[in-house]
Amino acid sequence: MKYFFLYVDPGSGSYLVQVIIAAILGGVFYIKGIWIKIKLLFGRKKQEPQPDNPDEHDG
Amino acid sequence: MEEKNRNLNLIIRTSMMDSKQHPASYRDPAGFIFEFENKFYRQVNQLYAAQYEFFKTSGLYDLLLKEKKILAHTEIDKNFTDTATWYKTLLPEQLGFISYPYEWCFGQWKDAALLTLNILKISIEHQMILKDATPFNIQFTGNKPVFIDTLSFEKYDASKPWVAYRQFIECFIAPLLLAKYTAPDFLKIFQLYPDGIPLAALTKLLPFKSRFNLNVLLHIFLPTAISTQKKSTVNKNILFTKKQLLNIIHNLELFVRSIKLTPHTTSWNNYYQETVLSNAYVAEKKSIIKEWMQQLPIETVLDLGTNTGLFAEMTAAEGKFTIAVDGDIACIDKLYKASSEKKIRNLLALSADITNPSPAIGWNNSERTALLQRIKTDLCMALALVHHLSISKHIEFDQMAATFSDLSTWLIIEFVPKTDEKVLLLLKDREDIFLNYNEASFIDSFQKKFILLKRQVLENTGRVLFLMKRK
Repeated sequence: MKYFFLYVDPGSGSYLVQVIIAAILGGVFYIKGIWIKIKLLFGRKKQEPQPDNPDEHDG
Repeated sequence: MEEKNRNLNLIIRTSMMDSKQHPASYRDPAGFIFEFENKFYRQVNQLYAAQYEFFKTSGLYDLLLKEKKILAHTEIDKNFTDTATWYKTLLPEQLGFISYPYEWCFGQWKDAALLTLNILKISIEHQMILKDATPFNIQFTGNKPVFIDTLSFEKYDASKPWVAYRQFIECFIAPLLLAKYTAPDFLKIFQLYPDGIPLAALTKLLPFKSRFNLNVLLHIFLPTAISTQKKSTVNKNILFTKKQLLNIIHNLELFVRSIKLTPHTTSWNNYYQETVLSNAYVAEKKSIIKEWMQQLPIETVLDLGTNTGLFAEMTAAEGKFTIAVDGDIACIDKLYKASSEKKIRNLLALSADITNPSPAIGWNNSERTALLQRIKTDLCMALALVHHLSISKHIEFDQMAATFSDLSTWLIIEFVPKTDEKVLLLLKDREDIFLNYNEASFIDSFQKKFILLKRQVLENTGRVLFLMKRK
């Protein structure tokens, strides 16, 4: 247990974390978008690109 | 006339004095819960007036109510508490029974987490957001979760992340992950940490393999690493967008859905499938209990040691609000899922060990009451339970009679004789020190607290059912 946690506002303490997670999720989506474009380029039209959908990166 | 008015004022004032603030409702300056003449009310304070009005006029409340996601309330324009901060009084739909998260099974935790995220998403569509994310904001009305805290909503600032994000992780994700990676019983760790499991503790409890899960890495290990390094250098002015927040919420939803228990068999959840005499035994027992209970003036039933809830489902199907309790959380999980699938609405399955029921916790031991104080019903069923209490836990018949008589007026209890195969199994490999374990002593003890109304021997098994009424 890190006791300095107790003196940090718990809400704003998580702001930075959320900014980083949002950036990572955004990045993962960006790569996924490129990957879909590559697949389309090679004629594999199995699935349409799904904008705004970061879901498939859940571990 | 004047005197009459004065008397009337006096009556109102006296009754105001009788309102009692709920001991767990002190954290939020927006309002509080109080009890008045055996009903629970919620006071909205002036401080929250604008937010409350927005909550009502934005259509958010109506939508959540329509989708049965929030507890209904009616507004009462009367200051029962006589406080200067008063803005409005709400009379919420009254709940028959309050359960606490450390009494929930895995499925209930998961549904509570998903409901919270879903309400968060709907709120954002209505320019509002949840200012907190604790499972104490959820209750189960039968087997459906419902959000009960009307004052949790505040206006959404689209440039800010979610203020309750960390609370959600520590209060919902952490117990679910511990259940998945250690054992389902670890959900009860919430009793130890009712404000959420600190990430520093959680990271030590999770096994190494959990780090290979991207979501665990993102939401658990990353924040822990950042908190340790950055200490208090927090920038409140970081810019954020609504799309980013929706991405995180969507990701959290998928994360919650992806947390699954590894299939395993417990000692109990195959009980009926394994017993050779199961079908005939269960059918006979069901028909006797059904016949007896139909003659009783009861509305609520408590089924202790419910296993996978065969008899609880029956009483619920008969229209009685039934609380089904078992110490084996896997059985309760199975029952919760099954009753949801069968759409049995008035059955509440809870995981609790009757020999070690949840205690009173919180400030002054009065925020969350002990299970046995809450769980009063008209009828209590203790079926095939006595031999476990007696032989496995060494609880005397006198003790059982005293406790059961505190819980309900009516009791249907099954005595399992020493010659029964299950009792022989319990006595195997141990010395038989239970010289008083016989029907005569059983009756002797229970007659001190109850009037014995009916006795019926079950064919084939030699087990005996009793119907009793509290003296």
